[in-house]
Amino acid sequence: MAKLEASDAVVFGISIDSPAANNAFAQKIGVTFPLLSDMNRKVLKQYGILKMYNVQKEEYDWAQRTTFVIDKQGVIQSVEEEASAINPNNAVAVCTKLPKK
Amino acid sequence: MRSAHLKSMIVAAALVGSVAAGAIRAQQDVKVSHTSLKPGDMAPDFTLLDNQWKQIHLADYRGKKNVVLAFYVLAFTEG
Repeated sequence: MAKLEASDAVVFGISIDSPAANNAFAQKIGVTFPLLSDMNRKVLKQYGILKMYNVQKEEYDWAQRTTFVIDKQGVIQSVEEEASAINPNNAVAVCTKLPKK
Repeated sequence: MRSAHLKSMIVAAALVGSVAAGAIRAQQDVKVSHTSLKPGDMAPDFTLLDNQWKQIHLADYRGKKNVVLAFYVLAFTEG
């Protein structure tokens, strides 16, 4: 995380959890970056990453685990889904290569 | 005349029904909607509440910071 901040990036986690749940989660795992609540799934739809999860035979649409890196011009620089999105090293590498200005 | 009108309404209703059924089927087939966004696209703007109930506007970071958006499944899980 320090590496990301050093590369002039801010990090946001996003899920469908409420701000209260996210705050408790943030304290529990000690994250220093903001966790955003997309309770109405607006951003998940905008970014097209809703995923159906089957829990006890009921289906729920929650986020597909995905990491986007966006540069200072608002242009997407990288998109990683599922397993590769867990490892932040790629996002760090992308940010480090971006122009400083 | 009247029956012809009724007939066309029934046909129309059947059509709407079959289109709706098709849409539901299509939805069931697609379990994961993969993002259509790709490198080079503009990131859609949004405003969301953070865990301190503060509004975060993506557009505020334009021209200032690179932004990493990490979408996760649920809090308190490994996801």
